[in-house]
Amino acid sequence: MVIAAAEATFLPRERFDALLDLLREGGRTVIGPTVRDGAVVLGEITTAQDLPGGWQDEQGPGRYRLTPGHGPRLFDVVNGPQSWKQHTFPPRIPVATARRDGDGGATFAPIAPDPPRLAFLGVRACEIAALGIQDRVLTGGTFVDEDYRSRREAAIVVAVACTRAVSTCFCTSMGTGPEVREGHDLVLTELDDGFVIASGSAVGDRLVARLPGPRATAAQVGAASAAVAATRAAIGDDAVANEGLRDRLMDKLDSPRWAEVADRCLSCANCTMVCPTCFCTSSTLRSDLDGTVNVAQREWDSCFSTSFARVAGGNFRPARSDRYRQWLTHKFATWYDQFGTSGCVGCGRCVTWCPVGIDVREELAAIAPPAMPVGRVPPRPAAATTGRFDVATLRAVGPETADTKTLRLVPGDPALLGGIPGQFVMVEQPGLPAFPISASRYGETELFLTVRAAGPASAALLASPLGSEIGLRGPLGRGWPIDRALGRDVVIAAGGIGLAPLRPLVDGLLADRDRFGEILLAYGARTPGDRLFVSELDAWAGRGIEVAQIVDRSDPGWVGRVGVVTSLLDQRDFSRRPSVAFVCGPEAMMQATTRVLRDGGIPEERIFVSLERHMECGIGLCGHCQMGPFFICRDGPVFSLAELGDFFGRQGL
Amino acid sequence: MTDTTSLAGRLAGTWFGSGLAAQDRQRLAAGASLRPFVIGEELLREGAACDTLGVVFTGLLGVQVQVPGRGPTTLLTIEPGDVYGWSALVPPYRSTSTVLGVAPGEVITFAADELRALLREDDPLAATLYPRLLQSMGRRLTATRLQLLDLYAREREVVPW
Repeated sequence: MVIAAAEATFLPRERFDALLDLLREGGRTVIGPTVRDGAVVLGEITTAQDLPGGWQDEQGPGRYRLTPGHGPRLFDVVNGPQSWKQHTFPPRIPVATARRDGDGGATFAPIAPDPPRLAFLGVRACEIAALGIQDRVLTGGTFVDEDYRSRREAAIVVAVACTRAVSTCFCTSMGTGPEVREGHDLVLTELDDGFVIASGSAVGDRLVARLPGPRATAAQVGAASAAVAATRAAIGDDAVANEGLRDRLMDKLDSPRWAEVADRCLSCANCTMVCPTCFCTSSTLRSDLDGTVNVAQREWDSCFSTSFARVAGGNFRPARSDRYRQWLTHKFATWYDQFGTSGCVGCGRCVTWCPVGIDVREELAAIAPPAMPVGRVPPRPAAATTGRFDVATLRAVGPETADTKTLRLVPGDPALLGGIPGQFVMVEQPGLPAFPISASRYGETELFLTVRAAGPASAALLASPLGSEIGLRGPLGRGWPIDRALGRDVVIAAGGIGLAPLRPLVDGLLADRDRFGEILLAYGARTPGDRLFVSELDAWAGRGIEVAQIVDRSDPGWVGRVGVVTSLLDQRDFSRRPSVAFVCGPEAMMQATTRVLRDGGIPEERIFVSLERHMECGIGLCGHCQMGPFFICRDGPVFSLAELGDFFGRQGL
Repeated sequence: MTDTTSLAGRLAGTWFGSGLAAQDRQRLAAGASLRPFVIGEELLREGAACDTLGVVFTGLLGVQVQVPGRGPTTLLTIEPGDVYGWSALVPPYRSTSTVLGVAPGEVITFAADELRALLREDDPLAATLYPRLLQSMGRRLTATRLQLLDLYAREREVVPW
């Protein structure tokens, strides 16, 4: 908050009614937050007793709770479900009447606005920004909504600077708060014993001049500023990467995420009802019983309602995914084209009041993630799931090399097919030790595991007859961070059987090919016969991946490259464009390869390797796979070189 | 016949040639010629006099040696941009391996006698060419060591006692 000490007044809390009296002068009604039905809603405030004194709110995705007993503060509840558009742009207003005359004639008459004289008490910074956005939408264009304009002009805005935030707040990301900077007549900042009050307009100046309190001390003004600054710090500013969001979002109209979020979305329209800027309406008609007098009403509508884009004979947005995309892209992208601003103020209501807890911040990050600045490594949390235990049925086995086969298993639990490329499952067979295998493909109904006969358990697995039931637990661990490759060139370096954990990554890249730059697959193997997925390699080359293969030892039938896998990479310059590398193979191969990639200009933060260790539990409890500070199963198996540091390639750890 | 300037230009676009100064490329190209090759075509023969040094423009060359009892074995392949026939500059000027086409393409070749004479009389040219040649040979040495390490070999079970 920006207050000069000389301008501010201090109003002790016990004198708060004096402010209400001033606001009510001349018959004005004060509207402010009040507790009703377990929520803070907007209602008439006649005394300070009507305000939610002593209450606080807890908010999260799909969650809202009031908790009592937090001392005397009047404005510790942040935003309730209702925004001020309840009063500037009411849910339903009559706009015109139509009357049939007895002789077949008809008269039509608009209903002139008759705005109540209101004082809005407790308007937050994000709410003031929302009023500003609705001003642009409803009064800033070619045509003006007269009812809205008259209501806005008739209202006094008494803001409250936020000294508390809830988890759904993200005004800082949208640049709207928590400091109150403009658009208010008065602004209050609540301290333990009263309010620091400053004016923001001529109306505010006159009110302040008549307030009974003394001039605020420098200490009081300082405490007020510090409280708001603490709120800003508590919210943080990285919830929504707003810069460039419009273009990123409009590039993602075909993102598969729309369908995914639509699976959760109920299309209930809550988000649009609670949004302080959503302005879509429909006209409804109300008739008297004999049909003589009709009143046309303007009613809030929502782009989520099924009829919103319906025309005779069809619907332009028949699917929920269409409607969700419409809402999100309008709010965060095309709003700029129409009104020169984002449609979002970061109040967080759509997050709180979504009955299934869809978090717009999360969806934006998933659909239109920001390019990661070089040198900034986001913390990658450890695996979030312990996986599920499931019994899968062996449906098919296909040979790959002399000792390696690909098994296709039908899991009973489809969750096993929803893993991330690079994640693994623990394979369990009666009487044999469990062992980890990375998924080599997530099919529609089948999980692909490419297994080399390396010990009794894997040999037994490969010898299992079709129809056998195999225990699986997963998906486990952290996979390849494919999002880090968005918009960048991609180098995939595989050695021998190391191509298996990389194949779902290739599948993922191909599924969204245009979101990535050039893709190079450098595949090295000991001999031509040690290569996996041979028939697919050519197909990938035909789908926009440069596939370069090399073998250490040629055989008479081999007409391709001979040499080590590093020679596919060591004369390339990866520094021309931002590149990301994913490397998997024997550890000696990964060390040699990552050295070449680093020398070629890919920063360590963007070189990822998948480590192999003895694993038994798969969730970081048994201790087998520990390496330095890591449990490979839980913290990996995929790591960036920067994360591993000196631990990578150190003998005997 | 390709003119010297366009050969020098193509040389500049290769890894080997990009490390040389423009006037050096021009001097080298003056005595060079462009040679297309097909699959299986022999450019150098193991044990024979190495009469050319070449840089691969396009295609792929294989470096082969005769192994008694195993026949010809390809040890490595040479990519566009890299050099072959370094024996043309190193006594006794005999090829250590057979070089033949694996995928059809073109090379620029420098006649060994003329190149050696040129390098003897032009110290600055020699001073830029030899380090580049050493860099290429060093890279091959490193690759060979990695091949010896057998990167894909299974870990042998080590008995700890």
